[in-house]
Amino acid sequence: MKRKHIQHLHRRVGFGILPTDLDKLSKKSQKEVVNSLFSSSKNVTPLEVDTSEIKNMFSGMMNLSKLEQDARRKIQKISRQKQIELNVAWIDRLAVSKEILREKMTLFWANHFVCEDNSIIYIQQFNNTLRTHALGNFKDFVNAVSKEAAMTKYLNTKQNRKQKPNENFARELMELFTLGEGHYTEEDIKESAKAFTGYSHNLQGKFVFRKRAYHEGEKTFFGKTGNFSGEDIVDIILEKKQCAKYICGKIYRYFVNDTIDETHVNAMANVFYKDYNIESLMRFMLMSDWFYDEKNIGTKIKSPIEFIVGIKTLVPTEFKNPKQLLYIQKILGQKLLDPPNVAGWKGGRSWIDSNTIVLRLKLPSLLINGAYISKAEEGQENVDAESKKAFFKKKYGRWFKTETDWFYFVKHFKKVALEDLDKHILACEINNTAKAYLDALQKVSKQEYCIQLMSLPEYQMC
Amino acid sequence: MDRRKFLKQSSLASSLFFVPSFVRAFEEVASSKLGYKRLVIIQLSGGNDGLNTIIPYRNDLYYKERPTLSIAKTDIIKLNDEVGLNPSLQPLKALYDKGYLSIINNVGYPNPVRSHFRSMDIWQTATDSNEFSQSGWLGRYLDNYGKLPYSAIEIDESLSLAMKGEKVNAIATQDPKVFYNLSKDPYFKNIHNHQTDAHLNEHNLGYLYKSMIDAQSSSKYIFETSKTVTSLQEYPNNKFGKQMKTTAQFINSGLDTKVFYTSLGGFDTHVNQLNTQKRLLSQYANAVEAFVQDLKDNNTFKDTLILTFSEFGRRVKQNASAGTDHGTANNVFVIGENLKKQGLYNNMASLNNLDDNGDLKFEIDFRTIYATVLDKWLEVDDKKVLNKSFSQLDFI
Repeated sequence: MKRKHIQHLHRRVGFGILPTDLDKLSKKSQKEVVNSLFSSSKNVTPLEVDTSEIKNMFSGMMNLSKLEQDARRKIQKISRQKQIELNVAWIDRLAVSKEILREKMTLFWANHFVCEDNSIIYIQQFNNTLRTHALGNFKDFVNAVSKEAAMTKYLNTKQNRKQKPNENFARELMELFTLGEGHYTEEDIKESAKAFTGYSHNLQGKFVFRKRAYHEGEKTFFGKTGNFSGEDIVDIILEKKQCAKYICGKIYRYFVNDTIDETHVNAMANVFYKDYNIESLMRFMLMSDWFYDEKNIGTKIKSPIEFIVGIKTLVPTEFKNPKQLLYIQKILGQKLLDPPNVAGWKGGRSWIDSNTIVLRLKLPSLLINGAYISKAEEGQENVDAESKKAFFKKKYGRWFKTETDWFYFVKHFKKVALEDLDKHILACEINNTAKAYLDALQKVSKQEYCIQLMSLPEYQMC
Repeated sequence: MDRRKFLKQSSLASSLFFVPSFVRAFEEVASSKLGYKRLVIIQLSGGNDGLNTIIPYRNDLYYKERPTLSIAKTDIIKLNDEVGLNPSLQPLKALYDKGYLSIINNVGYPNPVRSHFRSMDIWQTATDSNEFSQSGWLGRYLDNYGKLPYSAIEIDESLSLAMKGEKVNAIATQDPKVFYNLSKDPYFKNIHNHQTDAHLNEHNLGYLYKSMIDAQSSSKYIFETSKTVTSLQEYPNNKFGKQMKTTAQFINSGLDTKVFYTSLGGFDTHVNQLNTQKRLLSQYANAVEAFVQDLKDNNTFKDTLILTFSEFGRRVKQNASAGTDHGTANNVFVIGENLKKQGLYNNMASLNNLDDNGDLKFEIDFRTIYATVLDKWLEVDDKKVLNKSFSQLDFI
């Protein structure tokens, strides 16, 4: 498979690829390379932080409202701390996991089945449900999500009772999770909400069906009448091809291009509609020639997470203070586990505003090179680089305390000639003015050149 | 190009050079600076307890529902025979007496949501409570009417959803100097060399370059313009005081910006509310007092409207921890010089006609306030921004 295509594939289903790994894969065929993505994502490795303290407090208790106020406050406090740990663990996982396709899909689904909860137990369980079903069957996936404690809380299915219906989940199920706006009526929402009555959970976060809250009786949904359960409703929704089309459109925009190509999305929908198998759909997409079209390579804007993890993939970077990693996510506009609302992050160009573009250009040097970008010109003596670096480190170093492993970078880029570095670090061509400027600068070292490349707008593309 | 055409063009161009600069400067003032109206939003995050902010001190129900949380009659700053202010709001009383304050009571929206995130979201996006939007109301104002990259500024380190449009985003900056310093690395100038490619916006990379160039010029403009004035006004030495000071500096330096967004957090008073709210409300009131004075000294108060809101009020009945839980309707403050209706805009909410949760039933939809501000103050089509038509109020 062509090197350029392998790089493209790995930028989209992962966070980039190291030259050493690229060398290995380049001897294989496209089919082998794509297959290897799926085989290495066969396993599901749950993402877990230690929550035993809370679980111990839970054991023997029936529900939260019966908890002592002090105990409840203590749980909330631990939960907040653990959410930070989970966030950091997730980002670390993205940078090092061998199950990259599964992890990238999990990230995608987290912005599809959008949910948040202040309980670490429920949100961690939710996160792992996304991971488990990320490449599985979409119908099972929707049903699993609808029964998650965090989701029944987030979209109020818990409060959805026969006596007092709450339509929140039913509405978002259709509008955001399966069909898209405009493909159902208000009446469909009312009727399907009845089918989702009784969904609840216990203190430990396991699904509980409360029969007494369930609306027993006929519901008329999309022209069909019966005593439908929540699962029946999901069945009926998935019978509509619109559902396959809607999901494929979203996957296309995330993995291929911001702009939909109707022909390609229809082809995907035909595959997906057969059995709603996510793995088959992804395989079809990644084996299609159009996935590797020029217009799809290096033309998407990285999300903040893709940007941060991308840096970590090339130069392993650890934050001494985990809160700073969360702070960076916040100021870049995407803090994992903290979505803006159930519609999720808009993505694409909306990641970028005056603030975030400036930060994105400055962050690589701030995080991994003591805020220093070499500007020594060709032929000019560069004796003061070290003192400049020391100065920058003193002035800006306090902003972010990080530990970087440049040896790792050097090791994996050993065989790459310095002037070829851009082909590994950037996903697109450098614009002419920037190229002319870079050519006029000294190539001090691979490290300094890498920083120069990472400080270009081009580095924001994937 | 032929010679005639060239001459014609160059003479046209050169004639512009002969216009004395003070005339051009005057023209600019005349066209855009006079009557240049600005909007300042203050968001009180966490759900400020409106009932202990604007207090119905003659209402027995108030004292009955809040045995340890109510404010004693003698401590309340009375506005009239029924209603008074929290003692921490003394500075606001001065504004009230001058007719600079309009208090709109019982503001909310249908089918209220008691989650902070969601309710703030609703206030920021101005949608119905069962709708979701990825753009904010001020962002959509920018989409339609924002002429410049810095037409709206949030005095914070990142942008709220309120300030994100479908196509255009506002600028977030807490400290114009830091923002400027970050963006002025010569490396970032040299990679584009001020080339302006007409096709920049057409593809994503071009969009990034354009955003970068805009950010560089905006940060330079904001920094260099705002540093021309130094405020003599003293502000409270806290984060919110600093935000208001920066906002005043932006306004008084004549920054070409229509909307400023600030916020003060910490109002989620489930436990031991009295002290927390006292501290926060006095932070709020003292900073606003300094802000108004600063603007008045610079003759910019008359063109500035200040809107204060919180995502919800709190439950009427206090909870078991000397605090209050999430509620619904709340009061909104409008501060400005030429208010049409000064003082209390409407009556306080009824305390004996509550909803099933024991919360207030709202009277005024917050979006009618937005619509009024958009139409009457910013003079734009409110329907275009709110995607819906709302009746308007007459406080301005």
